Amino acid sequence: MKQPLNCAILKLFKSLDEACYADVMDKLKAEYGDMRAFTRKGVDGVLMTAVTNGILEETRYELDKNGDLKIFYRANDEGKATIEKYLPH
Amino acid sequence: MSPVTFTATQARQKVGSKYLRNGIIIATASGVTYGLYTAFITLAMSMGVWEDWYGPNLALLSLFTITYVLGSLGSAVNYTLSAVWATGAAAVKGKLRDFVRSIKTKPGRTLVIASLVGGPISTSAYVIGLQLAGSIIIPITALCPAIGAILARIFYKQKLTARMLFGIAICVLATVLIGLQAVEPDAHPNMLLGIIIASVAAFGWGFEGCIAGYATAFIDDDIAILIRQSVAGLSGLIILAPLFALIGGNVGEVVMLAGRIVTDMGSFPIFFISSFFALYTFKWWYKGNSMCGAALGMACNGTFSFWGPLFCWLILGLIVGQDGWALPPVAWVAAVLMFIGVLFIAVNPLMIFKKKEVA
Repeated sequence: MKQPLNCAILKLFKSLDEACYADVMDKLKAEYGDMRAFTRKGVDGVLMTAVTNGILEETRYELDKNGDLKIFYRANDEGKATIEKYLPH
Repeated sequence: MSPVTFTATQARQKVGSKYLRNGIIIATASGVTYGLYTAFITLAMSMGVWEDWYGPNLALLSLFTITYVLGSLGSAVNYTLSAVWATGAAAVKGKLRDFVRSIKTKPGRTLVIASLVGGPISTSAYVIGLQLAGSIIIPITALCPAIGAILARIFYKQKLTARMLFGIAICVLATVLIGLQAVEPDAHPNMLLGIIIASVAAFGWGFEGCIAGYATAFIDDDIAILIRQSVAGLSGLIILAPLFALIGGNVGEVVMLAGRIVTDMGSFPIFFISSFFALYTFKWWYKGNSMCGAALGMACNGTFSFWGPLFCWLILGLIVGQDGWALPPVAWVAAVLMFIGVLFIAVNPLMIFKKKEVA
């Protein structure tokens, strides 16, 4: 059975070194692209909330060629352990 | 620093400020809707069949039934209707499929436990504490934001500085000021036991705010609230109210009373309004806590101790014309204190002055 969207987003960070919202959406588009909640705003919200709760940490940010802000996140060892604890394989 | 990097920094700061501002607005809005939900459920439970049960009592219900069975039934009906609203909201947003998926995950099960602790267990402890010790327990339950912040520090290593603790203390003081208005001069015979039981409620709500706020980082808030209201409503209807009725010696009574409640056109439509506000109360409480952290989120939500009396005065006092809902002047002082407290938790006031100096 498919994971809930928020769980799927956080689970990605167990294997990714670093990702921004666009990377996350690319990875999950095939499986979750049909969900109405699968939007940039939604994904951004999940990532920022995970930072507030110490699950992810921000690594860097940049403006892309369209002047769009991209914030990159990663899960450190503790964050990966938390994700594994709540969302085991 | 290159101009491009500077612009990126500005954009990042703007996003960060907007996120924090939205979190504070959502958490405070949960306090406002809590006030509205309190006013409407109080109104519902004073009309139709409730008017007799809590008034002349021509139905000849026992004092135990009136206190415990009716209290738990009113709360359970409200939460169950709120779950109906939550189902509709999740369906409209295309998230309903995530409900079953979420409940099978560990964060989903955590939400079920938090809902049981904060819903039927804490609500019952509050009602029983109120009966045993009187309204002196209201200031005690106001400690729940402080408890939530401390638990979040212990369980999730969330930030809790001396400045934040000072802010929380101001908010608790403000709530205590309002609560003290309701304290009766005569001591109840079982006051100590009532206070201990009410402390369970304070701990339970602190626990729920902290645990559920964290779990909402894993589970969408529309789904989290659907889980919360379904668990709180159904456990109240199926377990808590029958349990109270059993203790009272007439378990069959609960079915009769529930039937009267849901077919009573004098009060039932008002439960639809109170349950709508209950939906946003808990949804925004969870979301605010997950966006701001438990310390700030629960302090913003704690402003309900001002919004509750305010909306009771506006709706029950001014609009409906019931006596006894006048807002004590100290409530306004408490509201200002709460604002100062929340400010202390959210930002370092010294930074505001420093920024002005730089400008």
